[in-house]
Amino acid sequence: MHPKEGWHDGKPPIPGVSRRGFLRRGAGAGAALLGAGGASSLLAACSSELLADTGHRALPLPRPNNPVTWPIYADNKPIPSGMQAERNATLKIYNWVAYVNPKCLKDFGKKYNCNVEVTTFNTMTEALAKLSSGKVNFDVFMGVTNDVIGKTVAQKLIQPLNHSYIPNIGQNWREYTSPFYDQRWQYTVPYTIYTTGISWRKDHIPDDPGSWPNGYAFPWQSKYAGKVAILDDYRESPSLALMKNGIYDLNTTDPKQITLARESLLELARLTDVHIDNNDYTNIPTGQMWIHHSWSGDMAASWQYLPKGVPADVIGYWFPSDGKGPTANDTLTVLRGAQNPVLAHLFLNYLQDLPNALTNISYNGYMQPVYGVTPARLVHEGILPKTLISTVVLEENFKNGLWELQLPIQTDLAWQQAWQVVSLGI
Amino acid sequence: MTSTATTTAAPATSAAPAKAGLPWPRRNPWRHPWFLEGFTWLYLIWSLVPIALAVLFSFNNGKSQSVWQGFSWRWYFTDPVNSVAHNSVLQLAILQTVKLSAYTTLIAVPLGVTFALGIHRWRTRTSASFNFVMLLSFVIPELIFGVAMFFVFTSLFRPVGLGTLAETLALVTWNVSWPAIIVQARLATIGDSYSEAAADLGCTPFQTMRRVMLPLLFPAIFASAILIFSSVIDDFVIVDLLSNSAANTPMSVYIYSQQHGGNGGPALNALGTIMLLMSFIIAILGYVGYRAMTRGERGSTTDTLTTIAGA
Amino acid sequence: MAMPTVLRFGGNRRNGDRKNADRPPQNKIFFILLAAPGIIWLALLFIVPFYDVFAIAGGRLNFLTESPVPVYNPLHWSHATLVTTWHDIFGVGSFALPIIWRTVWYTAVAAALCVLIGYPAAYFVARFAGRRKALFLVLLIAPFWISYMMRMLAWIDLLQTNGYINKVLGSIGLPGDINWLGGKWYTVVLGLVYGYIPYLILVLYAGLDRIDGSLLEAGRDLGLGRTRTFIKVTLPLSRQPILTGMLITVLPMLGDYFTNTLLSGTRGTAMIGNVIQGQLATNGFQGEGAVLSLLLLVVLVAPMIYYVRATAKSAREAS
Repeated sequence: MHPKEGWHDGKPPIPGVSRRGFLRRGAGAGAALLGAGGASSLLAACSSELLADTGHRALPLPRPNNPVTWPIYADNKPIPSGMQAERNATLKIYNWVAYVNPKCLKDFGKKYNCNVEVTTFNTMTEALAKLSSGKVNFDVFMGVTNDVIGKTVAQKLIQPLNHSYIPNIGQNWREYTSPFYDQRWQYTVPYTIYTTGISWRKDHIPDDPGSWPNGYAFPWQSKYAGKVAILDDYRESPSLALMKNGIYDLNTTDPKQITLARESLLELARLTDVHIDNNDYTNIPTGQMWIHHSWSGDMAASWQYLPKGVPADVIGYWFPSDGKGPTANDTLTVLRGAQNPVLAHLFLNYLQDLPNALTNISYNGYMQPVYGVTPARLVHEGILPKTLISTVVLEENFKNGLWELQLPIQTDLAWQQAWQVVSLGI
Repeated sequence: MTSTATTTAAPATSAAPAKAGLPWPRRNPWRHPWFLEGFTWLYLIWSLVPIALAVLFSFNNGKSQSVWQGFSWRWYFTDPVNSVAHNSVLQLAILQTVKLSAYTTLIAVPLGVTFALGIHRWRTRTSASFNFVMLLSFVIPELIFGVAMFFVFTSLFRPVGLGTLAETLALVTWNVSWPAIIVQARLATIGDSYSEAAADLGCTPFQTMRRVMLPLLFPAIFASAILIFSSVIDDFVIVDLLSNSAANTPMSVYIYSQQHGGNGGPALNALGTIMLLMSFIIAILGYVGYRAMTRGERGSTTDTLTTIAGA
Repeated sequence: MAMPTVLRFGGNRRNGDRKNADRPPQNKIFFILLAAPGIIWLALLFIVPFYDVFAIAGGRLNFLTESPVPVYNPLHWSHATLVTTWHDIFGVGSFALPIIWRTVWYTAVAAALCVLIGYPAAYFVARFAGRRKALFLVLLIAPFWISYMMRMLAWIDLLQTNGYINKVLGSIGLPGDINWLGGKWYTVVLGLVYGYIPYLILVLYAGLDRIDGSLLEAGRDLGLGRTRTFIKVTLPLSRQPILTGMLITVLPMLGDYFTNTLLSGTRGTAMIGNVIQGQLATNGFQGEGAVLSLLLLVVLVAPMIYYVRATAKSAREAS
């Protein structure tokens, strides 16, 4: 395949063509080339004007049928075994807003005689931008979505784990001892499992996404203008639009489909003046929003944010009954620059322990793939109201579910570009 | 357009001749403009009552920022996890705000004052252009300035990185024009006669500076310090772009990111209230201090008030 | 965020230059040394950073980290990011142009409202508050000392669907279910007005307070009514403060992103500041953020210079 085929006009890229010029010209064929393993030839075709770093090879793309073992680099090795936890330390955690029970942090601090300090971010994009801007000294990076693990490994942002500190991995579902996105869990342990569906206020909306032929089309209703919100995430929201259009390959590299997703989202904005935020867990219970594109875990915790006197059953969460919807798990990682790597490992271990996991879920809502975290138990312990049982994630969900996974870098930028046009930085 | 409100303030005055028929007495031009006063009160209510309510909600005995559920100290002391007294991240935010204000004031004031003193007497094309740059740094939109700072600390000055050092350096640059401008203004009013007299009496320039100019300039320097301290407390854009961890996130950024992330709640109001108290304490200190320093000079309460607010 | 009126004194006063020329040269060195730290600081941390923005805007992209790679030699600058951004604004299917127009009209409406609300209040306090002037002034300046974030928080609390604004509206028979925070342009504009009006009021007050009372009395003695005195005397004299005041509210409004995010959160109200901030926080798009902020700077350089010049000029006239 000749790299020139990537350029619509048949001309080589002008010197200094930008990333996006590059995308516009070459997205289709470029993506195809990359898919066919031709990444290096395509990249080589780009002048050095375009790429500051032409030396690297394309990252492997983990898929359930293509498990990936990440390399361990000579200058980024796991810490040695048998070290003592750092003393008088402050364990620094980088995490989503409201994504870990503060009580767990306090208890951990007491147990290991350290301070715990959480810094929060609002989107994965923002987190990666801050991390790669250099000079951060967090120990633990929490809630890393599995589509970015390859990037963080290749950029050497995170360090490989020393398994001897994390015996509680055994409490996790068995497949998580060697997930396809990180074979032999070299860099990650699982944190939460969740699905992405639609939440709605049953007291304001008589309709039910479950009664629709395609529940993912539920937000496209102009009569609820001003009361509809989608997630602020460059993968989730375009995926929603893809599924609305009946496309279930959420890792598509087809520029036509990306454009279609973008146009659908713009239409949604026109129809409903759609809100863009990750606050489904508060906006639905407070009634600020009536329909929210949602993460199951957020909705599982949402009843705690209901105003006094409003019953929990006004909140609904829909996920397709055949399981054909986004299913994912977030991970816990230790950053390469960790000042307290031992404590960081111990913290990862701590959260895998069933009692701590339950404490965490009681605040966080998100289930963890820890044996013993069962729907019956969550309901029994009053952590989850029966009416929100649809937020539960089971092992079989991972067999039927759709995964949003790492994309070839050009496609990734095309998705981000599409999302920029929709979200405008809001 | 500007005149509409005021025209209505005295509608009859201009319209009087036209209203023949009715014996419309020409109004006393010195009468009190009740309409204007009413309007001003309305404005003040609009501008202050929401803040009073926000302060009130920091004492809410519930998670809501909008539904009152009774008075409590919960968000300040009693809540074992989320109160200001027990959530170390909130304390870090307060500490960081104080730190940044102090560092910035300590660096920017001497820097700006010496700049003003030097520029005032060294008048060349070079100095004039730097004075112009100084003034530009004063009026440039903060976002544009912040973008430049973000880039320089993540590329050219990458060793600095994001964090407290970057925040301080940027805030100093952003605020250094306060003392530079205020002191230049003061120098202009003082005139050159004092320093010339001192020089004639055989003072070296250094002595003149120390013994004559600095005491004369002290109120201006003090006012600029107060202004810098309080404007750093209020600053958002620069620190939002340059902070990267809880340890270097000041209150304004913390409030924004939590509210944006849906994790709002009365604890944020409590934090905001603490911020407000800090600013007011600074303002009162500034007022009292400035009054004490300018004793004997002409000037009134109102002049002092506007001076410490930067007008 | 605050920008004061003290500039009215500042500027390059040229008179008196001759005297300095007579001074012995070592004095000159003393003053150069005095100014040097400030000059070096400005050069390193104001001029160099802006050069760095150009270097990023003309630079390349590291495909592994998706972060920008600055190019410091202007001869090697690439115009590609500029071209892309240009297409974003003016190209087919551009998304940025509507946002620019929206930014302009939100800012214009907000600034006009600031003046319409701020002027009468400042005018009253400056001219008619009498013995209560200090009290009024304290109240007028108070928001100036209250953090912007706290003031936004106050409105977020009030504007919730179950908040007090809706309750009050409902109780007087108006629709009490307005979704204020659901992407309403008027919420954003009012937020901007509320956020920036203290700065304007301060400038207006200072300007109006400086107007010589005897001019007004003269006007009245000559038989002008209050309104005509206002139109003939006060208004022309307050043109300068109004202009300065508008500039110091307009300039930061154009770079505002937080008001929008907090009070709306929909793309329908996004302003140019949101786009720039969003690009800055997204790996791979920081170059475009650089270009966009430079373009904004180019547009604003003229008013900025005007502001500096005008205030310097009025300072010369005053002294």
